Amino acid sequence: MESYSFDVVIVGGGPAGLACGIKLAEKGVNTLLIERGRFCGSKNLFGGVVYTSSIKEIVPEFPEVSQSPVERPVTEEGYIFFSTKGVVKFFHTKSDSQEAFTALRARFDAFLSEYALKKGLLIAPKTKVVDIILENFKVSGVIVDRPRSFKDLRPAEVKAKIVILAEGVNRLLTEKAGLVKGPFKPEEVVLAIKEVLQLPKGELEKRFGLNEKKGLAAELIGEITSGLPGTGFLYTNTNTLSFGIGIFLNTLVNSNLKPYEILERAKAHPYLHELLDGAEILEYGAHLIPEWGLQGLPKLYGNGVMVVGDAAGLVNPLFREGTNLAIYSGIMAAETALEALEKGDFSEKTLKSYEERFKESYIYKDLLLFKNLKKFLLNNRQIFETYPNLIYEIFSLYFSAQGQYKKEVVREIIRTIKRKRGLFGVLKDIINLGRLFW
Amino acid sequence: MKKSVNIDEKIGATKFFVDEEYAHLKIKSPEVCHNCLSKPCLNFCPAGVYRFSDNKLVVSYQACLECGSCRVGCPFMNIHWDYPRGGFGVSYKFG
Repeated sequence: MESYSFDVVIVGGGPAGLACGIKLAEKGVNTLLIERGRFCGSKNLFGGVVYTSSIKEIVPEFPEVSQSPVERPVTEEGYIFFSTKGVVKFFHTKSDSQEAFTALRARFDAFLSEYALKKGLLIAPKTKVVDIILENFKVSGVIVDRPRSFKDLRPAEVKAKIVILAEGVNRLLTEKAGLVKGPFKPEEVVLAIKEVLQLPKGELEKRFGLNEKKGLAAELIGEITSGLPGTGFLYTNTNTLSFGIGIFLNTLVNSNLKPYEILERAKAHPYLHELLDGAEILEYGAHLIPEWGLQGLPKLYGNGVMVVGDAAGLVNPLFREGTNLAIYSGIMAAETALEALEKGDFSEKTLKSYEERFKESYIYKDLLLFKNLKKFLLNNRQIFETYPNLIYEIFSLYFSAQGQYKKEVVREIIRTIKRKRGLFGVLKDIINLGRLFW
Repeated sequence: MKKSVNIDEKIGATKFFVDEEYAHLKIKSPEVCHNCLSKPCLNFCPAGVYRFSDNKLVVSYQACLECGSCRVGCPFMNIHWDYPRGGFGVSYKFG
């Protein structure tokens, strides 16, 4: 075969690309998904937690599937504030344990791709898209790093009426398509590093107070990142732990810090040291989280092209959303592609309805709501430095108030707040936080 | 307090299919690295791909986790960044 031609070509087999592919394959659209990894999921990494409501949009029978792609239902969810001396935990126990699950992407995405294959999606793994084909100002296909044939070793061309870019955070093709101006900046991304840890047999459920139907998802703030703007995370999988930290890349660059040294320092904190004692590292990985928000949002469509998922920067770090937004955007792109195929028109004019769908969704409304969050976090380092320590000190005073006149304890608490941040400072922070949303 | 961490040990836990024929990370101009005072890549790269030895920047692309930090983190945009060829590079078992 000298040339390949499809109705739709999807670049990237993560949740966005696969959601899009499943929806198109179900409608019988001649679609090819190209994945550079050895299998879908092999290049992907997240915290991570997945949400049932979004998965049901593409796999309605979830979580009642054979060979579950998820780890544990999230039943214990919350925040742990790390001070140098100890921690304060703030946890919520969920009644509906089927709402969210911890997951590992190499397994979860592979499950989605198996599901997509059964729906009739064509998937080409181990294939990298090196460029897009532009003809008359229209994207009309992609060029891959595979030879055209045994005789013709030039890179093969794959023609398509529509190309959907689900290439992930490092959006090289989105840049080439002219949908965004140049690379993102270090202050627009968080560098996350993660370890998958295995505790000695039987220790995981014992240490975390769980049984097989329970799982924990904790966000870690404060000393965990050595007070740098970012957070840590600790999630329980079936037999392993996902543990890691994420810090704004510009902080690491400007301060000349090694992320894995910060990670090791976190692991040495007395609270984690005890929890992770004897843990073996099964895997170490790194990934960027796109936090450019609305300001860095690429144009989501062009002639013959649409952008979905991380490539567009669809994440909400505060509410731990990303995989679900990827799925929703993939579905919206699929709906738009179906519309375009019916019309027989693949120009900007038709594909603009993808942006219209996007703007009506809560994803866009949330991006709008959180448009100043990144700047707020970078400019208010006391959230990561001062407050976790302050919270710990306040509760230390409160919980050791026995045998004292309580008015004196309250005074001591106020003195501590004054010393660490100042009453005016706290007031200012509360107002600024409120301003973010109103 | 600074703790020295053996990054090679961490990377050793992760699976790679190394492409010996194609180095997907390249320094555009060695001169620029030579004149770069802070050399933040030696530190922020989560895989420790960049090292400085014998007055030269050495790029161990084989251990690259393909996160993309160096593409934008290099203050002089002096790194030519690409993905490894299809099927090569990091291959997560967990992710």
